[in-house]
Amino acid sequence: MNKGYTLVAALAWRNLWRNPRRTTVILFAIVLGAWAMIVMAAYARGMSKQVFDNAIDNLTGHIQIHAPGYLEDPVIDYAFDSAQTTLKTALSDPEIAQFSPRVRVPAVVASERESQGVTLLGIDPVTEAKMSFLRKSIVAGNFFVSARDPGVIIGKKLAERLETALGRRVVIMTQDAHSKIADRGFRVVGIFDAMMDAQETGFAFISLGAARQMLNLENRVSEIAIKLHDPAHTDATLERLKLQLPALDVRAWYKLDMLAKLFQDTWEGSTFVWHLIVFLAMGFGIVNTILMAVFERTREFGLFQALGLKPGFILLQVWLEALLLLIIGLAIGNLVAWLSVLATGDGIDVSAFGQGLEMAKLSKVIPFVLTARDLLIANAVVLILGLLTCLYPAWRAARLVPAHAITRI
Amino acid sequence: MWRYRLAFLSLLWTDISYAQDEAKQIIKRAMDNNRGKSSYSIAEMIVHRPDWERKSSIKVWTEGTEKSLVRVIAPAKDAGNGSLLLGDEMWQFNPKVNRVVKLPASMAHQNWMGSDFTNNDMARADDLIDKYNHKLIAQEKHEGKTVYVIESIPHDDAPVVWGKEVIKVRADHVFLQQDFYDQQGNLVKSGVAQDLKIIEGRTIAMVFRMQKKDVPDEWTEFRMKEAKFDIAIPANYFTLANLRNARD
Repeated sequence: MNKGYTLVAALAWRNLWRNPRRTTVILFAIVLGAWAMIVMAAYARGMSKQVFDNAIDNLTGHIQIHAPGYLEDPVIDYAFDSAQTTLKTALSDPEIAQFSPRVRVPAVVASERESQGVTLLGIDPVTEAKMSFLRKSIVAGNFFVSARDPGVIIGKKLAERLETALGRRVVIMTQDAHSKIADRGFRVVGIFDAMMDAQETGFAFISLGAARQMLNLENRVSEIAIKLHDPAHTDATLERLKLQLPALDVRAWYKLDMLAKLFQDTWEGSTFVWHLIVFLAMGFGIVNTILMAVFERTREFGLFQALGLKPGFILLQVWLEALLLLIIGLAIGNLVAWLSVLATGDGIDVSAFGQGLEMAKLSKVIPFVLTARDLLIANAVVLILGLLTCLYPAWRAARLVPAHAITRI
Repeated sequence: MWRYRLAFLSLLWTDISYAQDEAKQIIKRAMDNNRGKSSYSIAEMIVHRPDWERKSSIKVWTEGTEKSLVRVIAPAKDAGNGSLLLGDEMWQFNPKVNRVVKLPASMAHQNWMGSDFTNNDMARADDLIDKYNHKLIAQEKHEGKTVYVIESIPHDDAPVVWGKEVIKVRADHVFLQQDFYDQQGNLVKSGVAQDLKIIEGRTIAMVFRMQKKDVPDEWTEFRMKEAKFDIAIPANYFTLANLRNARD
């Protein structure tokens, strides 16, 4: 019995190379298909990861705490006491890697010549450094040196727009906790260069101490951003925090930045569609090739059957041919895909496509991220669907009637 | 003059001690001179641009440093528009929409009624006294009288965008000129007084023009038509209800 299988396998292998040109062509198609699937998956994964990382980094964090009402109307009236005991207890959760209290209100920044509406953030320099993009994006001047630092940090684009520069003063105007106009001069102590222009023009950062003093906020803050050790535990941690802080509004990043979530889902979904398209094109090619190989050997199969080979073995032989074809194609395809991902290094620079990227929450360089899961899915799709479709030619070969087959010209 | 009042407007009265430096005293006295305990005036405001010019007439009441009310009386299309200043807050009333709007911080740097003055110029003029360091840098002569040239540099945390201001005050407590410099020392705009007259014993500039340096054909001018000082103004005059009520 075992010998039978060995024979069938040997036959399949030899038959595969009976027509080397045809086999090479279809191998090329499989390699190309596998390559396209894997590389596209890596690209989509890279985008999705980037959308996520950018969202988290862009002052969102994994979870945020606000006073109820703040997210609908982000003004100073919705502030909460950051020193309350329940909050401190909740924030000592072991899943929480870092949290950062912030004052976050709309404001206007004015220079001698221009003024611009921004989101004013009062931040704690120590905690914020580990929280968001700001610390690592400073290109001129320095980060805040103390929690009561009297300076302001603005983006490069905002500085250009205001026609101001490092070391000069700007005036920040907003409303304080008593609904009075609060305004103060701040010296520009730092300039940051962020990945996205909207970050550079949309924010001005002052120290938490200065913000609380200017806005008469005492111990209150507008939000607390939280970073977790493992983003996968976001939902579980969110539930715990919600239970402990019933009076506050606790939300996960995908509720805060729904656009980012949407883009992320879109990218992941696009992988599936892409796999389907590639496979359809490739699948027809494979079926066609095997079908050709079967038709060409009608007499041979008829003879096998006449000699007593069971139809099951014929089916197995054709199937093995397809399997060998798929395995060789996938092996080369995986290798080529891996090499091309390796060749892109940090990612591909898509800045030539301009500002639309920012709307899609992407940066100028998109990395390829190859994950074991995506690799497995691409290979499984090709292998399983490939074998399923090849069932048809194999079945055709197996159900030939020997008398007819042999007499066929 | 009129503009003075608004520009320097509420400056005056702050409770700083009188024993401070001379430059500050000079400015303070000039502000007192401009405003009196209370005042009432009618002025013409001309906003000039290269291709058009707009003239309107306004009435202004002030009391102390904290209160003032401005009402447009002509042209008919704008009549009834008003601004009320209480401390550093400002409200505007537009009779066409019959609505009083409190000026948000975001509008502080926008033009006041289309002129070359910002809302902040109007509302925050009293910052000039205590949020700057004043220094007497020169003395000049003007029509035979001494003119003090004072350089005023805002404190680091002052809500002032300018790098410095240079102010000329004549010995009879009249502001002759106010120059605004950016933080690199370039002149940005300047206000110049002309046609000094004596009204009720005070020397008052009848014309005050604010002009941006880099667009010389654009300016705003106030021409004083009538002024009275230390008059009695009803206690309820500087209120939102009265701002709405255009009976003048």
